[in-house]
Amino acid sequence: MSRAARLQRTLVAAHAWAVYLFLYAPILVLVLYSFNRSPRSAVWTGFTLDWYRRLIANRALLRAVENSLIVALATTAITTVAGTLVALALARFRFRGKGATQAALYLPVIVPEVVIGAALVTFFGVAHLRLSLATVIIAHVAFCLSYVALVVRARLAGFDRALEEAAADLGAGAGEVFRRVTLPLIAPGILAGALLVFTVSLDDYVVTSFVAGVGSTTLPLQIYSMLKVGVTPEVNAVSTLLLLLTVVLIAVAQRLQRPPSTLEESR
Amino acid sequence: MMRTAAHRALSLLAIVAAVTAVVASCRPHETAAPAGGTAATASVAPAGGELHIYIWSAYLPDPVVEEFRRRTGIEVTVDVYDSNEALLAKLQSGVADYDLVVPSDYMLRILGHEGLLQPLDKTRIATLGNLDPRFLDKDFDRGNRYSVPYLWGTTGLGYDKKKLGAVDSWTALFDARHKGRILMLDDVREVFGVALRTMGRSINERDPKVLAQAAELLKKQKALVATYDSGDFANVLAAGDVDVAHGYNGQLAAVVAADPQRLAYVVPKEGGTIWMDSTAIPTKAHNVDNALRFISYVQEPEVNAKIVDGVHYASANVPARKLISRAILNDKAIYPDDATIAHCELLEDLGDATTVLDRLWTEVKSQ
Repeated sequence: MSRAARLQRTLVAAHAWAVYLFLYAPILVLVLYSFNRSPRSAVWTGFTLDWYRRLIANRALLRAVENSLIVALATTAITTVAGTLVALALARFRFRGKGATQAALYLPVIVPEVVIGAALVTFFGVAHLRLSLATVIIAHVAFCLSYVALVVRARLAGFDRALEEAAADLGAGAGEVFRRVTLPLIAPGILAGALLVFTVSLDDYVVTSFVAGVGSTTLPLQIYSMLKVGVTPEVNAVSTLLLLLTVVLIAVAQRLQRPPSTLEESR
Repeated sequence: MMRTAAHRALSLLAIVAAVTAVVASCRPHETAAPAGGTAATASVAPAGGELHIYIWSAYLPDPVVEEFRRRTGIEVTVDVYDSNEALLAKLQSGVADYDLVVPSDYMLRILGHEGLLQPLDKTRIATLGNLDPRFLDKDFDRGNRYSVPYLWGTTGLGYDKKKLGAVDSWTALFDARHKGRILMLDDVREVFGVALRTMGRSINERDPKVLAQAAELLKKQKALVATYDSGDFANVLAAGDVDVAHGYNGQLAAVVAADPQRLAYVVPKEGGTIWMDSTAIPTKAHNVDNALRFISYVQEPEVNAKIVDGVHYASANVPARKLISRAILNDKAIYPDDATIAHCELLEDLGDATTVLDRLWTEVKSQ
């Protein structure tokens, strides 16, 4: 029995390691080769920080990183607020066209990105909106809004409204109930939605390639376009830095989400 | 509690905003980024006006742009695309504000037909006389109504000298001894071009019967091919995963230069494809004068030599040759000799035969 249990544990651990290896080995290789002296990513020839030095001098690449961060930041800010409001409206109220709204929310998630991109660029053409960073943000908001709304909506599904009623009973106004009861409870959902949107927006290629205009080349566009001449380790370097940013973001998010004890107390 | 809830999202946003600010400050002298991301693109125009360039990546060295800016006061924006099709989609949208684009030969024809390019005022391009007449008045743009040649190259073979010895023929790609060690481009015209050339036919053959024979040849060859890859072919060869790779000269020249003992590039004796990318001005360009100035500027011998030295592709500029570095000028993978150039063909529009070719290609690929 105990032998069987030990075997089972070993197998589960081995499986877990295999999965982690499968997920992270390519990323490790990418990080490793950002320190490779050879300009061709095929062979390891020695350690160097040159690619990071070159990255700082590579205007086009830095500009692309900056564009990507601006777009991801703006998209996250807009969709987090708007998506949360949509989710609240859907969870709380009955109104005409509610079913249609709900169905429409799934569309951007299901419809192929190529179709969204082509539709948006046609729309911008009809609306005479010049392609720029602004159109990229509009496009990202359009297909990212659903993610926040759906995630927050899921969080609201398990929401106990008695808590809000209790707060109101104890004399809290509508605004106070929202700020002090509702928002803290759905915050993990909002945060999850925001992180999801940030990453989706940061690495979107297909839609962006349709709607980017003058001065709005984002990092994915820049990297894909570099394929014609072969990807240099500079790309590995910039990817490593972005990876670092993502890891920091996730770590911060998890730290902020952790203490359920404070939640218990403040209730 | 309420404070932490509000802080969660805020602190995350703050981190990202801080990083954005750091990246922005890293960027050497650049116009200020639009704050908050609402991106009002209408900034104050600088004295010399603006120029929006849309070009292949790594095709225009920074110092060249910088010097143009210094000389003229024109504020230059450079955006990059990864395929001719992406360029077509952008120009077709009608809302992309590009003043200068650099399409390849076959795409230039399409853009011209679609009315997306404007005829060039040649009197404004003082340096036009520097161009090699062999690269002018081509089928894709007769009389160079819309375009001036920028850079050009060939399609040929990259191979492992130690494994294959000296190679000078496309037949290496059909040799059963190299089974599983052959890479072909994932490109219908280029792949059929190889087959047609080995049959002694033109790359622009339109006869369905001949095309069907070429397809048969390619179907037989498929058993020998390790992969069809248009993006990473040079790295696959450099890594030693294949011994012979069909590919464009630019990337192959780079890996050959990195390991000249082992690797080599050749345009086979049967002849290959030559491709040309040309500067052109979209119909809806706002800064036509500046675009013309730039087209003329890149054909100045000193500037042109700087471009060639920087991007490792050949230009069609004659006086620039005296100034281009020896290593590049003597690199046969970049500047093939005249006999080889005379052997190569530009891809032409096949008209109705395109449909036939696409069907045959699907048959080959899905076999």
